[in-house]
Amino acid sequence: MKQPGSSLSWRKVTESKLFFPIVALALILLFDLISNPGFFAIQSREGNLYGSLIDIFRNASTVMLLAIGMTLVIATGGVDLSVGAIMAIAASVAALMMNPYVMAKELPPNLMKLINDPQFTFQPLWVVLAVTLVVATICGLWNGLLVAYVKIQPMVATLILMIAGRGIAQLITNGVRIQIFYGPYAFIGQGWLVLPFSLYLVAVVYLVAWILTRKTAIGMFIESVGINSRSSFFSGIDEKKIKLLAYAFCGICAGIAGLVASSNIKTSDANNIGLTLELDAILAVVIGGTLLGAGGRFSLLASLVGAVVIQAVTTSMYALGVPAFALQAIKGVVVILVILLYSEQARSLIRGIAAQRET
Amino acid sequence: MMQRVGAFVSRNQKFIPLTATAVLALAAYGFGAVLYPGMRDPQVFLNILRNNTFLLISAVGMTFVIISGGIDLSVSGVVALTTVASAALLRAGWNSWLVILVMLVMGMALGAVMGGFIAYLKVQPFIATLAGMWFARGMSFFISDDAIAIHDRTFHILGQTRILIPGLSDPVAQQGDFVSIFVIVSFIILAAAMYTAHLTRFGRAMYAVGGNEQSARLMGLPVDTTKVLVYTISGFCSGLAGVSWAIFVASGHGLYATGFELNVIASVVMGGTMLTGGVGYVFGTLFGVLILGITQTLIQFNGALSSWWTRIVIGLLTFMFIGVQSILAARKVGRRRALEAGASRWAAARRRRRALTFGAGAVVVIAVMAAVVINSAPAAGGPAATADAEQCQLKPFRQEQAVSFMEQGAVITYERNGGPSCIDEVYAIFPDGRIVGDDGVSQIEKQATPAEVGELLTGIRDYGWFTDEMYNTWHTPCGQCYGYYLTVADDGQEKTVKGVDGGTDAPADYWQVVSLVKGIVPKFVVTP
Repeated sequence: MKQPGSSLSWRKVTESKLFFPIVALALILLFDLISNPGFFAIQSREGNLYGSLIDIFRNASTVMLLAIGMTLVIATGGVDLSVGAIMAIAASVAALMMNPYVMAKELPPNLMKLINDPQFTFQPLWVVLAVTLVVATICGLWNGLLVAYVKIQPMVATLILMIAGRGIAQLITNGVRIQIFYGPYAFIGQGWLVLPFSLYLVAVVYLVAWILTRKTAIGMFIESVGINSRSSFFSGIDEKKIKLLAYAFCGICAGIAGLVASSNIKTSDANNIGLTLELDAILAVVIGGTLLGAGGRFSLLASLVGAVVIQAVTTSMYALGVPAFALQAIKGVVVILVILLYSEQARSLIRGIAAQRET
Repeated sequence: MMQRVGAFVSRNQKFIPLTATAVLALAAYGFGAVLYPGMRDPQVFLNILRNNTFLLISAVGMTFVIISGGIDLSVSGVVALTTVASAALLRAGWNSWLVILVMLVMGMALGAVMGGFIAYLKVQPFIATLAGMWFARGMSFFISDDAIAIHDRTFHILGQTRILIPGLSDPVAQQGDFVSIFVIVSFIILAAAMYTAHLTRFGRAMYAVGGNEQSARLMGLPVDTTKVLVYTISGFCSGLAGVSWAIFVASGHGLYATGFELNVIASVVMGGTMLTGGVGYVFGTLFGVLILGITQTLIQFNGALSSWWTRIVIGLLTFMFIGVQSILAARKVGRRRALEAGASRWAAARRRRRALTFGAGAVVVIAVMAAVVINSAPAAGGPAATADAEQCQLKPFRQEQAVSFMEQGAVITYERNGGPSCIDEVYAIFPDGRIVGDDGVSQIEKQATPAEVGELLTGIRDYGWFTDEMYNTWHTPCGQCYGYYLTVADDGQEKTVKGVDGGTDAPADYWQVVSLVKGIVPKFVVTP
């Protein structure tokens, strides 16, 4: 048996929300190192860095973006199931604004030449980005309104947009999968500035969220709303506005993730963009130690590490030759194991068994 | 009088969501029947039941879970796993009844394990069943990456047997309106579930756990056992739904039923069960399923509305029902609070006004949706449909033209007419790859390779080319449906098949062949 309080600083480390995700990540990377010693090799081509490790981070960037927004929502005691659908809506809006000709009845005669040109876009890039993010924010506000003001359970309220969202995304593009040829847009998901460009986006969003929650009182308000919404209301916190803010921010994050995802595959695929990513995002937050359903204390960085853990498991399994779809089974087992590690019941059960052994 | 009505309403307030669902389902069907004469055919209604047996079965299981205060996301994964596992076991030569039994036990085992995690290890239902979904779907890909076809005789009989409806059919000629075996099975499940939920000790415990777990525990109810049982029942239902799905499509694949759990949850919510737990009726779920099926059928009959409108409409309806539920819940709380604080007339009036606003909002939404449905048909329909959308009936088969094409040596002639823009197109496909089309106004030609034509014929042969009988699937045609006539000469025989889409009883492989042919023929440019 461990002596409680034998080493204070060690205890502080193990109780940090970051401790467990980082240990998990380290174990997975160690496993990779043993099974494939070349795993950590990083090449530099034309000043840009490539390698498995960087691939893990690059592929994790959409889930990382979602996880930042999701952390705030889960910290308020809610959950947002609609982020995948919001990603699809954002991708459709962006694609339509760059290449609206698919909707026209009369097509311009030199159409193919026109839209195949990587310099062609119907609206300038900043308008595309701004409108997309505004639309994503509106989606987030809708969720927030339902949760905070109409007082519908978060899971149910966001379920509505989850069901309808992909339909709306298809409605926007009239069911067409719009191809995106515009070069600068492709840079969002595929560009490299020494490191993949999408990682800089993650860093910016993370910084904004960190400043918002740790340099202002909003972070504390969010935690207090999550712990007890009613008593925060009585202590003068406008708990409705805080919830609204969290869902709106989650919507923006999902919008940015939608931009990255659509730029990665160069189409607006309303049926598949962000499919089941809401589950990955929630899982990342849960691995990061924020309590689903209970809310309260949260750590943005731990959620980011959680997202990387998920991607690291995925990439390692690919490296072992596990087929992509079958990977889900392993993911399911990992989820249960992770949850059990956190669960008080499981811990006390193990402790009980250990105590029985001793007697 | 008003008072008596008011008293009646407030006494039976718990039935309001159930009644609303039933009224909405009937209204939607009535609306469709007025708009599209084809929907008056009773077979169309029976087809809604026939095509949604798996939805009804799994929704019944989900109702149990939701009443007990949980949620089961694993439904779609278990359904997919069941289709693949049963197809694989049948391919390995197992007895079909044994396969069904094993599938049901597997569903129950998966449900019990998830229930155990939820009840004893206090894992959140959302997370536990999410892991269950991933696990089940992943396992189905471990079994097989590809779709596995089912050629089992028993499964075929279970899927194809027609149970004729007395009074609507001719038992001697074996013709008329019918349902499938699994419609009966799903109704037996529904009845058993209603009995279990409302008339057994377990059912009452389930409601109590969903209403307030803490007080249920203090009352001495077996909370944990109840939870495990509830998820086991849901697993059983998912397994049965998977078997029904495998029989319906005669194959198994791990990608089947993606997003199915959303439809299931939406049906349960539309059936008046509260997602907070403790409130709801299993019977209402039937109407939730019907609303979903009727919405799909309406959109199919309309023809001009694309399939994704189903999702938007279902989302809106779910929103409406959840809104009504939250108002009912708020009223209950409000009334209790009003009793405590001495009833304030003003507060009551405000609550009533809120309910009225929401009701009016719902009516407006329905009216707008109805307007969209009515208006969109002519708007998108093109010239012929504007004045006489109802007049654009299916035209007779242009037999002489088809025969002359066949005499010229065509292997396939294909005619498609009707639809929202009232088209009438005949295509002929020749063995050398030449494809000609004629829409009555202009001709079109396309050169495919002989190999492509050969592939098409192989595809048609693989689908087990239709039986010798000429399918005549006429029901009073809906104004928006397409009629298809397909003549194929292959293997020294020549067969003609005709059918109308929109809830007809042509076999599934017929539509698969039609879509194969559709893929190869050239398209007429729609002239505005």
